[in-house]
Amino acid sequence: MPGFDSIDTLRTGLTRERYLVDEGLATVVFLALRLKKPLLVEGEPGVGKTELAKTLASALGAPLIRLQCYEGIDVHHALYDWDYPRQLLQLRAGGSAPLYSEEFLVRRPLLEALAQPGAVLLIDELDRADDEFEAFLLEFLSDFQVTIPEVGVMRAEEPPTVIITSNRTRDLHEALKRRCLYHWIDHPGLKREVAIAQARLPHVSERLAGQVCAFVQDLRWLDLYRSPGVGETLDWAEAFHVLGRDSIDSATAERTLGTLLKERDDLERVRQQGLDARIQQAEDLAGKLRDHGGADGAR
Amino acid sequence: MEPVDGGTPTGPLGRPDRPPDQQILSAAVAFARSLRSFGMAASVDAELVFIRTLPELDLRDRRQVYWAAHATFVHSPDERPVFDSIFERFWEGRELQLEARASEHGESDPRMIGPAHGGEALPQFRQDGKETKKAAMDGAPAKATRDLNTAEGDDGAANNDQRGILAAYSPAEQEAKKEKLEYADDELAAVRRLGEEIKRAAPRRRSRRMRPNPRGDRLDIRRTVRNCLATDGEALRLAYTAPRERPRRLLFLCDVSGSMERYSRVLLGSLKAIVGANTKAEAFVFATKLTRLTKALDGRDLDRALEVARGAVSDWSGGTRIGSSFAEFNHTYGRRGFARGAIVMVVSDGWDRGDPAVLSAEVRRLQLQAWRLVWINPRPMLVDQQPLAIGMRAAMPYIDDFVPGHDPRAVAGLAPLVGGLGTQRPRRKLVGGEELKVRPLPMHGNEALPKDRPLPANQWPSAANY
Repeated sequence: MPGFDSIDTLRTGLTRERYLVDEGLATVVFLALRLKKPLLVEGEPGVGKTELAKTLASALGAPLIRLQCYEGIDVHHALYDWDYPRQLLQLRAGGSAPLYSEEFLVRRPLLEALAQPGAVLLIDELDRADDEFEAFLLEFLSDFQVTIPEVGVMRAEEPPTVIITSNRTRDLHEALKRRCLYHWIDHPGLKREVAIAQARLPHVSERLAGQVCAFVQDLRWLDLYRSPGVGETLDWAEAFHVLGRDSIDSATAERTLGTLLKERDDLERVRQQGLDARIQQAEDLAGKLRDHGGADGAR
Repeated sequence: MEPVDGGTPTGPLGRPDRPPDQQILSAAVAFARSLRSFGMAASVDAELVFIRTLPELDLRDRRQVYWAAHATFVHSPDERPVFDSIFERFWEGRELQLEARASEHGESDPRMIGPAHGGEALPQFRQDGKETKKAAMDGAPAKATRDLNTAEGDDGAANNDQRGILAAYSPAEQEAKKEKLEYADDELAAVRRLGEEIKRAAPRRRSRRMRPNPRGDRLDIRRTVRNCLATDGEALRLAYTAPRERPRRLLFLCDVSGSMERYSRVLLGSLKAIVGANTKAEAFVFATKLTRLTKALDGRDLDRALEVARGAVSDWSGGTRIGSSFAEFNHTYGRRGFARGAIVMVVSDGWDRGDPAVLSAEVRRLQLQAWRLVWINPRPMLVDQQPLAIGMRAAMPYIDDFVPGHDPRAVAGLAPLVGGLGTQRPRRKLVGGEELKVRPLPMHGNEALPKDRPLPANQWPSAANY
């Protein structure tokens, strides 16, 4: 399996895929790959948890298998199911093949991940699933094997790289956390966010990217109900770009603020405080950043 | 990759020469042990994983070792500060077993400092909290914490002056303060009964999980195909499923401030009963700040749980800031979905020293998340008369059910109340409903009680009330 032989090569690999990692995350991902342990990533919405798995898969040149969790998800959605129509046909046709064999097995993401060597398995928003599913997952994650009663034990030749994300809408079980490496992704600092914006949106002008990020960074201090994540920053910058602006102006900001803030109270609060002052402040900050060597902004 | 025995690092042990593997191992073990001594759940599993990471790392690089240890031992962002300080010591090669553990805990206790705490009228409570905390740390039996007011004894009068109207508002209240936080056997039995009743009464919600049900309306293809095996592929016996039903989450936000003091004791007992019986229940208490009690109440031993609960509530019987407590809830727990789809029960008299505008904004926010917001007010007759109950009036427009209770027995009526909520979502107007539905508290055998005369403060809902 094509791996990374040092933390730095991992970082370069991810950067090439336009995903900037700080050194904490790089170390942890590197260790997860090396120790073949699942990695549990938590963080505010929009800090790029899901994106991490996607990028890692493409950096590794490995297939990405995604399991989106939701309330009520069970073995038949996550692991395997039987191909009922074919089974019925087989029965009616009086075929001799056993009905509960691999031939009629429908692989769901978890089983698929065992079958494909070196795959990256993304278990997204595990906190949405219920306790029962978490308990089931525990078994899967510790041995990378599952038992299908009618078929037998299925085992991975090479365990997949597992990335689990959670928004912390509830606490995950300690037992599950123990089996994983853990990392909390924070909102990036200003320089880093500008670097991310430039990497992700190369068509957006440097000036606009700087201003948007400075504006958002400042908002995050406001203690809003729903702080904008990196995803929203990118959306907002893109919104300005699509509208043909290459710097923030208050009329456009006013109209596009909904890309950034998604709570009525937050919107009202920011509007009441006045956008102009904020924009001015963001411009100053972005200017300062540019003057003080924005080139090595990735650091 | 740097092998363990390569290079000449100074390493985490701070030694000039490359330490032998044995030393690295014991340093790692000592590190894990000191994490444990600070209350972090550093399991042996995690320790082994950490040791396995070491050969993959450049041990001279502090940041690499830091992040590896972080990934293995830290399981939530809250643990980070503790972890960071221990790691600091570990890396510096300093003594890991700490001398001044007690004082450090006391100082870093967020309840003790900060402008949001207590306010100017409450200095003595901060003091109390600190002392109790230290006493407990020193291993002294925490007996003193059993009384509702710990340091009330010698300078009680002065304290009352300082607390002003909130605490010293009626002679009966003064009486109640002497109450012990101990429960008699029959009271414990009543607690258990209450828990059972609420468990049975709790409304259910449809789960997304299905279960076999012959009267269900969805075909269970899996079982139907199985049945077909016996009939040569002819689907003669159809199997059906229906969604499983789960108890809806009950979320309690209980006021334990001075004005609620005589209810607090009964309330805690009931919370214990509810959390113990219903796995989906959450309990929070607040006065000037919010404390989550669910974990403390989830044990078997009521006395011990109450001890923990009391320890957690440093501003027991102080003033009330309902608005900012709710804001704290909405921010830290509400955002994580604690109130989503839950029946939120607020038990408070609505005496708020904070800004009513904040309160009404936060109650509105809470209502938007809750499946149903019920406010139980043990002193409803005061709402109209008392200027202090302005908080209650601010909250009123955003409450789905307002339940006036009249005495501590109100809690005994919880089970029928919860059961009577029905399975329908309450009808709400977009902007605060004017037509508030006031529910009479259902109480068995208590209907004849005179509503204007308060009951003895320590009256527990006894088995006779059921």
